[in-house]
Amino acid sequence: MSARDDEIRRVVAELEIHVAEVQARLAVLNALLARDEVPEDDKEEGPH
Amino acid sequence: MARELRKAARDSGEDVAAHHGLVKMIPQWERGDRAPRERYRLLYLKIFTDMLGDLPHGMDAVDLATRLVEVHSRAASLPRPGEIRRLEAAALARPRATLTSAEIRALAEEAIAHLHEVAGKLAELSALLGDDKAGQGKP
Repeated sequence: MSARDDEIRRVVAELEIHVAEVQARLAVLNALLARDEVPEDDKEEGPH
Repeated sequence: MARELRKAARDSGEDVAAHHGLVKMIPQWERGDRAPRERYRLLYLKIFTDMLGDLPHGMDAVDLATRLVEVHSRAASLPRPGEIRRLEAAALARPRATLTSAEIRALAEEAIAHLHEVAGKLAELSALLGDDKAGQGKP
């Protein structure tokens, strides 16, 4: 495997991480607008 | 990209929409307004696989090309910084119990910072793939 192939894989992996980071923060902002709350998954679970 | 799609279709003996139709559809696919049909997804996959053609293992090339298509599509569907600022302003204007104003501002700042990283990585990738293609002696 060439150095360029490794470089492409590295950049794709980093790109995937940054895209996921943006999407995660957008999800929180959109949830705030939709329900004035963060998504349920982000809350600590209380006693049942 | 329209030219690449037409070339990939021609090489595979398939018909695709006329050039002006592709030029109209591609931005809609990239924004996520419409989903491309399967044959167009396969042509996208072929284009990226060809760009990575000198990888030693065929499945590695297909796996990487699939990841490229997916992450490219996800990146294209992200909003611009201005839209994130509008979301931030709208969120700040709402009464809320879970996040402080500072936390909302930090969320927006981080989203925009990562958005800039996405743009940088896309440019880096484009240069790498361009080099790759040039290295294979393709036009």
